[in-house]
Amino acid sequence: MKRTLNINIGNSLIHIEEDAYELLTGYLNEIKAHFAKSADDFEIVTDIENRIAEMFREILTTQQKAAINTNDVQTIIAQMGTVRDFQSSEEEEENAFVPPYSAGIKRLYRDTEQGMVAGVCAGLGHYLNIEDRWIRLFALLSVLVGGAGILAYFVMWIIVPRAQTRSEKMYMKGEAINLQGFIRNFQDEMENNQLIKRSGTFITEFLDVLGKFISGTGKTIFKFVAGTIILMSGIMLLGLIVVLAVFLGVWDAGANEIFPLSMVDQAYQSTLLFAAFIFFAVPLLALLLFSARVAFSSRPVNKAVSFSLLIVWLLGTATGIFYIAKVTADFKEEAEFTQTSPLKPYATYTLVLDKSRFFSKEDSVRYQINSDSYRGRIIVDHNDGPFQRPVDVRIRIERSMDGKFAVVQNFSAHGKSFDIALKNAQSIHYDFLQQDSVLNFSPKLYLTKNNYWRNQEVNVTVKVPVGTKLILNKDLDRYLEDYRSWNCDQEGEDNRDFAEWVMTEDGLKCQKEINGEHH
Amino acid sequence: MIAENTQTQMRKGILEYCVLLIISRGEIYASDIIAELKSAKLLVVEGTLYPLLTRLKNNGLLSYNWVESTSGPPRKYYVLTEDGRGMVKQLDTTWQELSYAIETSKQTNK
Repeated sequence: MKRTLNINIGNSLIHIEEDAYELLTGYLNEIKAHFAKSADDFEIVTDIENRIAEMFREILTTQQKAAINTNDVQTIIAQMGTVRDFQSSEEEEENAFVPPYSAGIKRLYRDTEQGMVAGVCAGLGHYLNIEDRWIRLFALLSVLVGGAGILAYFVMWIIVPRAQTRSEKMYMKGEAINLQGFIRNFQDEMENNQLIKRSGTFITEFLDVLGKFISGTGKTIFKFVAGTIILMSGIMLLGLIVVLAVFLGVWDAGANEIFPLSMVDQAYQSTLLFAAFIFFAVPLLALLLFSARVAFSSRPVNKAVSFSLLIVWLLGTATGIFYIAKVTADFKEEAEFTQTSPLKPYATYTLVLDKSRFFSKEDSVRYQINSDSYRGRIIVDHNDGPFQRPVDVRIRIERSMDGKFAVVQNFSAHGKSFDIALKNAQSIHYDFLQQDSVLNFSPKLYLTKNNYWRNQEVNVTVKVPVGTKLILNKDLDRYLEDYRSWNCDQEGEDNRDFAEWVMTEDGLKCQKEINGEHH
Repeated sequence: MIAENTQTQMRKGILEYCVLLIISRGEIYASDIIAELKSAKLLVVEGTLYPLLTRLKNNGLLSYNWVESTSGPPRKYYVLTEDGRGMVKQLDTTWQELSYAIETSKQTNK
């Protein structure tokens, strides 16, 4: 494949190959330089051009060709004669031919034919008339010194043009741009039978180099990466299937208390679960198939398979989004109500977290309804687990304004409408019990059956008058707002389970602090 | 080298005469002149003809007409002027003299 040009020579439009055009231009330039002494000479050149055009037309028609090539141009030059032939037959012997271009003009180009990477070093070598190996050595050394060589190389790769045409290559090597130079260059090329590297812009060249790398050493790495991807996605797929089974089983066991699942209505739990499964599993499967195909170039993935995968994924995702939207809508409205109950007055209260289940009468009734596994596994175990609900119990201790002892329980929840939100709030069961001076707080609230998590929260406020002493179990820390009992630790007593606080005019203070003020 | 130079000189003069002779037979296109010269084995390269034609034209011995061509742009057809005809006659005489000179020289040599 060669580029062809359209030239207008002697009022004829001629298709000519690029290298042939260069040869012709060199020839005509020489002729013009030779016949450049008087106005008549212009006519001579025109006559010669007309004749060349005529010969071209003959060649094109007789040989049924599309374009003139270098051989044709050389034939014509042989027929027409070179400037040297003209000289010998002309009168003015003293007018010896002087080449229009001196042999010394050099221009900087990249030599992609002799270059190692992009021909920058080879081009510099031509330009500076130094062997390329020294330049390469210098470039490598500069990399060792500071790496500036790499940057310079890339900059030159982009800035310095590639020697593409014959004349550019000749300028690069400093050869005279005239007919002799052209022919010599042409013959050199024929002798060496060099393959002209196909390349275009910087990007395509870069990709070319990259492609060579990938097809070589890169291919092994590539296969390894693809294999890893296949292995990983396979494992993840298996994991997903296991997770699906586990979730289905857990849900089946009625474990609605587990946090993220407790949000979802039982009616569409399975559907949502399957949707989520599809959402994650299908891309993994696609990744697996694609990697297998790319890495081991096995037969391509069937189009029908790809399409059905896509459709299944879209369906699953759409279903998932639908139900997520539905669940989200259930959080639109908020409702809360407050229940105030008086406390039996004591001078000192002990506040503890009642980790063990506290069974009131109604509790007992309630637990009759639920399965045994419910109680045994989920509720009593109150460690922080992955399925821990957000903190839904908050305990505050405030100074009582009216001097009375009271506990205020505030229940709040969300719902689709206010009614439902209120109902959800009413479904909260929270255990708080006073046993003499001991106040028992349950670590969490419970939802009566078939009520899903709708951000139900309990805010328990204990109101005591000034001067009341409160002994707080440290387990309560995470439920207490504003107070941190470890602030009250006496030195060397890190391991105490209780911290002593006293209600003052300014709010709750550490016993230790008050002691400190006295002394 | 000396021989070459002499040959060139001789050929130069004879080429000019031949071109005028060819054109004297009637209006003719440059390519046809070349073809004739080639069959006469006188022309080495075509490029030498064009300067010659231009010089002859500038000396008033030739003129040309543009003639439409079926395959391509118009072509230059050369004809002899009156001066040209006179020139050809002069050259005919000269040629006879020269050929006589050569014949004579050869005979005396023998």
